Amino acid sequence: MADEDEGNEYRWESGYEKTWEAIKEDDDGLLESNVADLVARAKRKRAALKATGATQLGMMRHLFVVVDASACMFLQDLKPTRFLCVLKLLEGFVHEFFDLNPISQLGILTTKMKRSEQVTVLAGNQKKHIEALQQLKDLSCEGEPSLQNSLERAMNGLKNMPVHSSREILVLFGSLTTCDPGDIQKTIKSLKDNNIRVSIIGLAAEVRICREIAKRTGGTYNVLIDDHHLKELILNQVQPPAVAGSMEASLVKMGFPGGTPSLNGGTSDSSADHAPAYCLCHIESETSSLMGHNGYNCPQCGSRYCELPVECKQCGLTLVSAPHLARSYHHLFPIKPFIERAQVPEATHCFACAKPFVEAEANVYECETCNQIVCLDCDLFIRETLHTCPGCASDPVKAQMKTN
Amino acid sequence: MKLNVDGLLVYFPYDYIYPEQFSYMLELKRALDAKGHCLLEMPSGTGKTTTLLSLIVAYMKAHPLELTKLVYCSRTVPEIEKVMEELRKLMNYYEKEMGMEQNILGLALSSRKNLCIHPSVSKEREGKVVDGRCYSLTASFVRARHAADDAIPICDFYEGFDAHGKEFPLPPGVYNLDDLKEYGQLKGWCPYFLARYTITHANIVVYSYHYLLDPKIAEVVSKEITKTSVVVFDEAHNIDNVCIDSMSVKITKRLLDKCSNSIQILETTISNMKESDSKRLEKEYKRLVEGLRDANIARETDMALVNPVLPSEILEEAVPGTIRTAEHFVAFLKRVVEYIKTRLRVQHVVQESPAGFLRDIHTKVCIDRKPLRFTAERLASLIRTLEISDLTDFSPLVTVSHFATLVSTYTKGFTIIIEPFEDRAPTVSNPILYFSCLDSSIAIKPVFNRFQTVVITSGTLSPLDMYPKILDFHPVIMTSFTMTLARPCILPMIVSKGNDQVAMSSRYETREDTAVIRNYGNLLVEIAAAVPDGIVCFFTSYLYLETIVSSWYDQGIIDQLQRHKLLFIETQDAAETSLALINYIKACDNGRGAVLLSVARGKVSEGIDFDHHLGRAVLMFGIPYVYTQSRILRARLEYLRDQFQIRENDFLTFDAMRHAAQCLGRCMRGKTDYGIMVLADKRFSRADKRSKLPKWIQEHLKDTNCNLSTEECVQTCKRWLRQMAQPFSREDQLGISLLTLEQLQSEEMQKKIQQRAQGV
Repeated sequence: MADEDEGNEYRWESGYEKTWEAIKEDDDGLLESNVADLVARAKRKRAALKATGATQLGMMRHLFVVVDASACMFLQDLKPTRFLCVLKLLEGFVHEFFDLNPISQLGILTTKMKRSEQVTVLAGNQKKHIEALQQLKDLSCEGEPSLQNSLERAMNGLKNMPVHSSREILVLFGSLTTCDPGDIQKTIKSLKDNNIRVSIIGLAAEVRICREIAKRTGGTYNVLIDDHHLKELILNQVQPPAVAGSMEASLVKMGFPGGTPSLNGGTSDSSADHAPAYCLCHIESETSSLMGHNGYNCPQCGSRYCELPVECKQCGLTLVSAPHLARSYHHLFPIKPFIERAQVPEATHCFACAKPFVEAEANVYECETCNQIVCLDCDLFIRETLHTCPGCASDPVKAQMKTN
Repeated sequence: MKLNVDGLLVYFPYDYIYPEQFSYMLELKRALDAKGHCLLEMPSGTGKTTTLLSLIVAYMKAHPLELTKLVYCSRTVPEIEKVMEELRKLMNYYEKEMGMEQNILGLALSSRKNLCIHPSVSKEREGKVVDGRCYSLTASFVRARHAADDAIPICDFYEGFDAHGKEFPLPPGVYNLDDLKEYGQLKGWCPYFLARYTITHANIVVYSYHYLLDPKIAEVVSKEITKTSVVVFDEAHNIDNVCIDSMSVKITKRLLDKCSNSIQILETTISNMKESDSKRLEKEYKRLVEGLRDANIARETDMALVNPVLPSEILEEAVPGTIRTAEHFVAFLKRVVEYIKTRLRVQHVVQESPAGFLRDIHTKVCIDRKPLRFTAERLASLIRTLEISDLTDFSPLVTVSHFATLVSTYTKGFTIIIEPFEDRAPTVSNPILYFSCLDSSIAIKPVFNRFQTVVITSGTLSPLDMYPKILDFHPVIMTSFTMTLARPCILPMIVSKGNDQVAMSSRYETREDTAVIRNYGNLLVEIAAAVPDGIVCFFTSYLYLETIVSSWYDQGIIDQLQRHKLLFIETQDAAETSLALINYIKACDNGRGAVLLSVARGKVSEGIDFDHHLGRAVLMFGIPYVYTQSRILRARLEYLRDQFQIRENDFLTFDAMRHAAQCLGRCMRGKTDYGIMVLADKRFSRADKRSKLPKWIQEHLKDTNCNLSTEECVQTCKRWLRQMAQPFSREDQLGISLLTLEQLQSEEMQKKIQQRAQGV
């Protein structure tokens, strides 16, 4: 699987690599600087991909994930099988997805035996999806997949979603063939008309029709190299995409349920709010239990939920908490990429981690706004995880002035 | 961009150039400077056409006296159209850069069928019918008759052209077939004759091989092309076969029966004419006495019947007395036909030389060599005199007359083979007389002698040294270019054994072996499971394809295959095959995926490109040796051995490998394309076969991929396909396989190009 300790494929499985050809001696006949340079370049390259400007992003996403469950998913070129590997990675994806897109919804479909089956409906509750994914593991993979059937089904689920939301389909496609009942070109056209973006991740090789679907609907099409690459590709889908074409900006009504009831001294502080009640998200399952005072009440209809974000089952209001929105915020305003520059004698240590710079690291990185200098590792950490510059954060006044 | 090619300013209509295109220009310019012939191999999809055109046009502009005309010969109408599009692009670029109209006239020429705009004639589908009907509307006597009697139909477009077209030449520009038609409609002139007339003063002429190689047509169409021309044969890997076909004749029993009918028609027409208009026959007789030299004057439309030999030998002399009068000639023809009929009545195969044939015909029916030589010309003259306007019925007789003329003209380089039955059906009597040309240099020799530079080029010409031998010429430049690639976008592999370690081969001894057939089947099934979209397979012959498919059917391999992809099969029927092709393309476009089983040397292997998803993999099952039991082939091999010191095996391997390379090249149509090439035969890994593959394929054929089993092959495919599927943009190519002007001019790149040019 994608775990680090399992490593890459076995040496005898991979091709014959001439690793020595990538290495060249520097002027002194040394190799060290060269290696460091190679490593740094690879890291930067990855980070640079994410540095996009402030475009309109589809923050409110409705995404259908289509998982191929045809016979070819039993192949073992991903360990233990393609299907299990994909499911495992999808669990991680679902988690990350809701973490970064709190006001979005997700649904899961599978396709096999020339048909498409719904696993979960569009919903904002990640637990349910993860449970469903875990149950899928016992599914037997057989027959051929049908792209058209799955896309049609996903489209039916998506096309009634509000116009301001981003409608997306993600297909994990292991097969090299699709067995369709009709003309798939018509399906592509109606997908396009409905403003649905289809992204496809191929597990084996480039299939022409997938490339065409992705290209015409504005999605991406990628084919994996190995399981690490697959993980990366799947996680790339977590980032909200830029808005395609004519999606109108509109105001969305949202509810912010109060925090823990005991601290909530506001207007909605009525005794009913704190009375023990069934959580609405678990009310159908047998394990549902009476909740105590904890939970979140919908400010519109008062129904109670154990977890946010969620769409209220009673009145359809989207319930979020302020931190959720704040987390989405950095997508809109990514920090500017740091400038790569040669090491200067004045800066002796990294501003972020306080590690002294060593000779081997030729380059350091400078924030445009606060002019603080950080090392490569911190640069990546800031970009990928922190999403805020420690220099600017420690001196907000100056940073504010600069940005304005 | 503007390039400096060895001191010559070349306008190149694109912003980027491949390094090998530049090298190609360098070599081509050298050949033009030396006024010699050259042989250039460059992979398909690297922009051969545009490179050729831009260099030669630049050369014409720079040296207008030394090089006046470009004759570009291509094989099919779509290819001709492609060349015209490239030329148009180039001319537009010239206009944009120079800011004025260019004084260059380029046009395409094709048969009447493709150019006719006559309302009813152009509706005909078959080329021969169109030619015949055109002749019946435009022949000189028909027009003369029309002058007397308005009721006789003529072609208005031809009349329009005849009245005005010759005085007003076509304005400079680029005319493809449709443009010519449009222009013809506009002016009311016949586009076909306009084009034929314009050839003499056009700067660039694009037409089919046959207009230059086939002496029957060449003399009529191409005789006035000046010596200071450059002739380009594109896709010329089969040029020797084209030469041979144009000089060979095949006579069957049925054909002879039709001849007898036509002779009867001739007889009745002659006797009718004798009663009504004996003067005309007398006039013809007198003319024949004077010789044929002026016979062709003012008779351009009468070209439907022409002489198959190079005429200087014949036209000097007067027609011999024995066949001067019409009746005598018809009786003579009758004798010839009857003689051939008796020759066909054999029980065993006969092979003899033209000299032997002549001796035999002399002793048996007292026909001399000399009158035989004039048969074709005499028949043409007779048909003209008799004013027979419907020519389609006479084509069998014309064939026989060609045969008579050829057999008496050439004593060397030809052979006559009479087979009483086909090898495949020895019980069915089906006698055929083959008059077969063995020496491909005969037809092309006048081309080499006449023009100062002849360029022979194709994607697959390896091994290069064979062509000068079999075509008997001395090239000044002989170069094979490789393809510079930013990623390894072809994956040639030699699969020599199945998973059970049984060697795979289409050798005659193991051909029927079920283990071999099963292994071939498994290979295809596994590749079909690993490769997306389209897969094209080539077999060595239709017969082999049929046996293999039927045993695959029994072994259940077809069922397995259809789980992954749809299956299409090429047959000898052209309509069926094109239907299969259409559906193949549809299946690939829809993502269902398809496998096409076809035959090397068939229609699919020659003319059709499987670019991008249409051909992600090509499988070559066995080495496509030509059918070695054929007597014609054996006669040719013998001749090649005696005359050119080419060993039989060398020629057979050369021929097989060029067809294999041609098949493999189907899947690579450009630098963004990628494709797998699987050679499934043990014998491919031998050095004599491997080294005969084109350089651009050899370069990617690693030693590790030369002796694979099915499983190893599939593993390699899978890994490679994933790599190829990674995003690939123009930026990745820039500087390596695609150059801007600055990059091209950089010292480093110039050095590399020089090295490449010298290295070969």
